[in-house]
Amino acid sequence: MRGTLSLAMAEVNRLRRNKRYLIFTVALPVMLYLIFGKEVATVYGVSFKVFYMVGMASFGAFAGAFNNNLIRISQERKDGWIRQLRLTPLPANAYVVAKIVGSMATTIPSIVIVLLLGRFYGGVTLPIWKWITIAVAIWLGTLIFAALAVALGYMLRPDSVQPIAMLVYFFFTIFGGLWFPLSGGLRKFGEITPTYRVIAISTSVVATGKVSMVNVAVVLIWLVGFVVFAVLAVRATAEAV
Amino acid sequence: MSHSGTGPDSVVSFENVSKHYGSLKAVDGLSVSLRPGETVALLGPNGAGKSTSLDMLLALRKPTSGRIRMFGSDPYHAVKSGRVGAMLQSGGLMPEVTVRELVTLVAGFHPRPIPPETTMKRAGIADIAEQRVDRLSGGQTQRVRFALAISGDCELIVLDEPTTAMDVETRQLFWANMKAEVAEGKTLLFATHYLEEADQAADRILVINRGRLLADGTPAEIKERAGAKRMSFRLNRVDEPFLLSLPGLVNLEIRNDLVHIQTTDSDDTLYALLGAGYRPRELEVGSLGLEQAFIAITAEDDRANTGTPASPVEERI
Repeated sequence: MRGTLSLAMAEVNRLRRNKRYLIFTVALPVMLYLIFGKEVATVYGVSFKVFYMVGMASFGAFAGAFNNNLIRISQERKDGWIRQLRLTPLPANAYVVAKIVGSMATTIPSIVIVLLLGRFYGGVTLPIWKWITIAVAIWLGTLIFAALAVALGYMLRPDSVQPIAMLVYFFFTIFGGLWFPLSGGLRKFGEITPTYRVIAISTSVVATGKVSMVNVAVVLIWLVGFVVFAVLAVRATAEAV
Repeated sequence: MSHSGTGPDSVVSFENVSKHYGSLKAVDGLSVSLRPGETVALLGPNGAGKSTSLDMLLALRKPTSGRIRMFGSDPYHAVKSGRVGAMLQSGGLMPEVTVRELVTLVAGFHPRPIPPETTMKRAGIADIAEQRVDRLSGGQTQRVRFALAISGDCELIVLDEPTTAMDVETRQLFWANMKAEVAEGKTLLFATHYLEEADQAADRILVINRGRLLADGTPAEIKERAGAKRMSFRLNRVDEPFLLSLPGLVNLEIRNDLVHIQTTDSDDTLYALLGAGYRPRELEVGSLGLEQAFIAITAEDDRANTGTPASPVEERI
């Protein structure tokens, strides 16, 4: 356990030094919120500044957990770093656990920064428990994408991983309504995505003061599905790593 | 000269181990055991099954059949107990960290870590400790991999082609460090296709080809096994079936009237030749180096199998 934790720490240190990572997970959502955060409109029963705060926090966090992890895992598998780790006394699952723990830790700042921006730049005022609910919902969503990144990272080779990462990511961000709110048939379709549900948990807690169990259930189903997918992918490639 | 058989104190034992990929037998009924303190070279051409054997030993692959034991337990648990340090050709490094950070990190995974400064000195990378891992040359990367293999206090060291990508000087330095490392009584198993390296560094050589163990002995024994002598001469009339029936003959090569022979007993071979009425010209008799011995052993095996030279099957599939 100690070894796995130190590996997770090393992962966090690598990310902290990575400018691209910081741009996508922190700088870009912050910039977009500064530009559009003060639009006046009502979306999903809440003001636009609340919706956009939740959307941008999710966008940054999911990009960090998904795109970044996926590309690295695929590359590190090809380079043989995963093999190298398997020759050490670290437990076999240490690499995957460290990746997930590392990305869960590094997405906290990007979520917190955008929520703080919503509070102090957008002027969103909420009771503390609502803030916490929103942060936890987005953080859970991050876990879904970290698991998907593991699954695809073990399955895809580095030369094909970039376009697939973008495709999957755009699917979940656009149909989840992270960039702009959905309506009509698009919204009906978007309801199947975990990204839509993460936003819905947050906006409905602000609008109604209640956490919708349907939303939570959909998020958990996706989470379980991707974790199983990840476990299968890792197992299937155990001999080829 | 055979050293097979499983002693209770063996560090490593392969018991009739095979690894098949479809119809390809990468490793085919390998049985061997290593005793504590030995330095053993696993020698064979590309595609002989060296890497697959080491991968199975290190629990990266599972044998199709047979059993591998390390320190009396299964390979996975032996590796996880920190009693073995390993370096593979295919082992990569974590990018974006410095050499020192990486060595420190991996040492921390071991139950009995060695201070990173000591490891880096031993591996000859103290001068590049602050450089980033992803900005090293091939030879430097190889030394960092070696450092990771010896970053814990282990009893067995396994190295797959350790000196690939090293220049001659670095290679010599590497083996000097390695000898100091195993002088403490550690067991060393390394795969190589450099015969010189096996000859100089190992006190026991395992020759494998097509996944099977062809010879097992000291470098001197291997040379003897292959036919210690080579002969060459010219004949007016070359009769191949007769030449093949000569006593002691291990390998025969005919180029027009020029005959090359490898033999276990050059005297017997020569007398039989003369006894049959031949009068060879320009007769030369000499000793074989390990390289020729190795070629003789593997060529003999290839002929026995298919009549064609060994196909260079990809080692990693």
